[in-house]
Amino acid sequence: MTSRNTIKIHHGSIVCEESKLRGDITIGSNCIIHPSAAIIAEAGPIIIGDCCLIEEQAKIIHRLPFDQSDKENTPVLIIGSHNVFEVDCTVEACKIGDNNIFESKCYVGNKLTITNGCIIGAGCRLTEEQTLKDNTIVYGRSCQMREGLDRPVPQTLQMDTLSKMLPNYHHLRKPNKKNQ
Amino acid sequence: MPLYEGIGAITDKLVVVIDIGAAYTKLGFSGEFSPRCIIRSEVKCKDTGRVRNIRDYENAQDLYDLLVDFVHMLYFKYALLSPKDRPVVIIESLLCPTIFRETLAKVLFCHYEVSMMLVLPSHLVCLAPLAVDTALVLDVGYTEAIAIPVCHGLPVIHAWQALPIASQAVHGNLKTLLTACNTGINSISEWTIEDIKVRCCFVTTQKRAQEFSKATPEITTCLEVKYPLEGSRTLTIPGKVRETVYEIFFEEDNDHQCMSTMILDAILKVNVDLRIKLSENIVIMGGTAMTPGFKNRLKDELYKQLKSDRYSKLKITKFKFHSPPSKDNYTAWLGGAIYGCTELLSMKGLSRENYLKENRLPDWANMKDNLRTL
Amino acid sequence: MSYIIGSDVVRYACTCGILKPISKLYFCRHCLEVRCGFCVCHEVDSHFCGKCAENLPSSEARLKKNRCGNCYDCPSCHQQLTTRAATVGPKNPEDPKATPRKVFYLLCLLCRWSSRDVGIPDQSAVSGGWPERENIHANRLQEIQDMYKGIVLLDKQQKLEKDKKKQRRYMSFTDRTGITASMLRKRVGLPDIPHPLLKPKPKEPEPAVAKEDVEELPEELLTKPVNLCEVTTMEQRLVQPEWQPITVEKLFPIHKQLSVKRSQRCRSCEHNVSKPEYNPNSIKFKIQLFACFHIPEVRIVTVEPLRAGKTCELLLKFSNPTQHQTVITFLPVTLEMEETKISEQVTEDKSVVDDYLLEKKQPLSLTGTGSQPSSLLHASLSRQPSITVKPRPIAVPVVADITIPTSTFILPPRDDAAEYDDSGDTHNIQDDSKLVIWRKSNKAVVKLQVTPKEDLKIGDEVVAGFTMQHIYVNTITTVDNKEPQKCEHKVKVFVTLGNLVGSE
Repeated sequence: MTSRNTIKIHHGSIVCEESKLRGDITIGSNCIIHPSAAIIAEAGPIIIGDCCLIEEQAKIIHRLPFDQSDKENTPVLIIGSHNVFEVDCTVEACKIGDNNIFESKCYVGNKLTITNGCIIGAGCRLTEEQTLKDNTIVYGRSCQMREGLDRPVPQTLQMDTLSKMLPNYHHLRKPNKKNQ
Repeated sequence: MPLYEGIGAITDKLVVVIDIGAAYTKLGFSGEFSPRCIIRSEVKCKDTGRVRNIRDYENAQDLYDLLVDFVHMLYFKYALLSPKDRPVVIIESLLCPTIFRETLAKVLFCHYEVSMMLVLPSHLVCLAPLAVDTALVLDVGYTEAIAIPVCHGLPVIHAWQALPIASQAVHGNLKTLLTACNTGINSISEWTIEDIKVRCCFVTTQKRAQEFSKATPEITTCLEVKYPLEGSRTLTIPGKVRETVYEIFFEEDNDHQCMSTMILDAILKVNVDLRIKLSENIVIMGGTAMTPGFKNRLKDELYKQLKSDRYSKLKITKFKFHSPPSKDNYTAWLGGAIYGCTELLSMKGLSRENYLKENRLPDWANMKDNLRTL
Repeated sequence: MSYIIGSDVVRYACTCGILKPISKLYFCRHCLEVRCGFCVCHEVDSHFCGKCAENLPSSEARLKKNRCGNCYDCPSCHQQLTTRAATVGPKNPEDPKATPRKVFYLLCLLCRWSSRDVGIPDQSAVSGGWPERENIHANRLQEIQDMYKGIVLLDKQQKLEKDKKKQRRYMSFTDRTGITASMLRKRVGLPDIPHPLLKPKPKEPEPAVAKEDVEELPEELLTKPVNLCEVTTMEQRLVQPEWQPITVEKLFPIHKQLSVKRSQRCRSCEHNVSKPEYNPNSIKFKIQLFACFHIPEVRIVTVEPLRAGKTCELLLKFSNPTQHQTVITFLPVTLEMEETKISEQVTEDKSVVDDYLLEKKQPLSLTGTGSQPSSLLHASLSRQPSITVKPRPIAVPVVADITIPTSTFILPPRDDAAEYDDSGDTHNIQDDSKLVIWRKSNKAVVKLQVTPKEDLKIGDEVVAGFTMQHIYVNTITTVDNKEPQKCEHKVKVFVTLGNLVGSE
């Protein structure tokens, strides 16, 4: 558990001051992180890709599964680009790809690997160790799965509106890593 | 108001056709070619709040209450019709328990006040969509498999054969086989087991089944399936289980009976001159018969049984099967729908006044209905 | 609110013997009896679509097979499908005047199934235009159906003719003169009517031919891995009974099923007890004879911890929902059906001897009993009266006795303006202070003594009962009396007081 927070924010991202960021976190460009979102890098650094949307009360927690106690190499949680973490979702997966949507109040357990284009429906609890295939859609109370045709459409309109509205109402952390 | 809508609306006889099975109920209207809905035969019990199958009754009063709620749901949620003063067609098995059919009649006539009820035996009416009058009908449902031959439009009831080898037995077998490689199988609901059975399992060929029955089978089984259960765990369904769960249909029990012998025994009990015709007109119906590979395997088993000694008297050489113009799980319903749109309903149906006089349904087992008028 | 989520602690006995909370009971003003959902006759009032909130007349509903024409349900999760728009480039990219047009596709918001998943092309109209599917066996089945109709009709006609073959008393023209009708027609010059048997019959469908080959086991099942996301579940198959697709690619959108509004009718007096409004968006009722508007409501305030054999206190709150003053009297409860009225009617009825049936009235025929071609038509046009079912014995174990107070108490009428009126309660009612503890406008709290039986064990549920008699003012005026009539109405109340805590 690192006691120092190292947060690197790329150019164009809007990170609210009220969000809880702990540990070694790298946030890509054009991301939007709402207030009261929590990104906790307990077991190792988290690298978030570009154009991700992390809404209020979303929790991205990188912790080791309890059966693997401290090893030498610190695993890195790499989150791809164009992901959406909706309100109050809890994501503890060990690897996340691109273009995924984690709907409100879903819970993704520790041992899952999410690939690209997946949609985890609202309220679904996934705890079984598995790798979700590309474009998997999980929905319903009993976490039924189906395969979508292709990845979900990125929500550019919403991101644009937010990037204009959020600075008017919240204090922001300044990006500290310039694009090279 | 149903009365003042104009004569034109009322002369259009909307007859509800219901086939209540042990697992699923098929509901629709006469004159149509498929049921409107196929729903589970269960209803939420008002006292306990649990969902109960209508066949799990404790006594006649309990069954009455369950059927009242069930028929209420059928009419007001699915058929969207008032049951009062309208005719209804009920399709039932010839071996339906008397308490069930009498309670159903009481519910429909006394509680819901239908005007007329026509009760049709499923083995007979399923021949209507085929336009044949002689066939051997095998109905593989949920609780049991029943084979009854129908000759010249009359079911030959004395040749009936029934065995409890149907979906319920398969579910039990599946649970037993899965407990060997998974934990917590007993907590899985019946409907999840049915889903596993429908999506993963099938009836394998005779050759492969013979290999599996050996102590050390030498063939590669089909691939296993990982079945996710509610996001929290996964069941493993091994390939051998997928192929052999239906073997209980074709393994002879202590009385040396199984599905293939059932058909041949039924044919044996019929007159010699009709046997060839029956063997060349076999109709298989029922939801369980829709399993992939079932009909093919049944055909192979029939030919195999024919070679054994006890069927040497049967001079049958080939078996021919009908394919009805419907899915197997609603063939009987379709026959009932065809019967329901003819004038047979008004001719042979039991009207409310007659029911209230007699207070019972006419039954083939009751001698009072079997006396021939001179 | 407690009636929706809470358990049914206070239940009233309906006239049919079933116990229900007051929220589930009706009160028939004409027979002055409590009715419940079991003993009223339910009828379909109107059809409407739950999504577009559109009423459909029942004939149209019948035509469309009880499905809405515009709304669809998702075939994979059975939720509603919404129509989404997407812009597509103009048909002719070189033409500068062509505008990008909108195309529409169906999308499910729960499982994200879309009409593009099964290959349905996007439509250019917002509603309608989605392709419909037909049953492949429809033609053959129609032929078979017509054939059977013909056979049965012929059978019926033959039967009628056989019945009519009585001896003719009158000599026909042919018998007297020897000239047949066909000879006469030839003479006059009219064309000959062909013999009915020689009429060209429509071609009868051939009986089905059985084949030796049956469908084989598909080889892929043995070799290929099963992708559970591609195989349909039983629910997905059964929702479309005609097609029952096995793979997900064949799942087509289904028209949404309509819902109905029901009206309830008392079986003995044939009056409506509840009738909703026609507009699907409206939750109000045209006729609303609910028990909670006519019978005083009983609620438990507190009960002392119950001990077997020991007298405990029970506080009940009574509230009067009507606009007239009522007097409440307590009477002991008896579980046997002691109404003499019903037993008299049973002995009068000679033809029906059954456990369940009670009485049948004369059938009311609204149209004359003219010659109707089929008995079904006649039965459906004239409304048959309801059969009243004999009440069943109340099946609740009453294990505690309530000491019935001898005094009665008055409940003032309900005054809707009282909550805004600060002048305070000015009813000045003299009360038995041992009975009535608290009052406020139309409510009163009453103290009763409950004694659970001595042979109960700890943890047993204690149920007590009493008969509440209240004065009901019937506001329906008939021809005889122009004034509202007062009558005494009795209803049995059963309270579940919780579990036994200790013993003597």
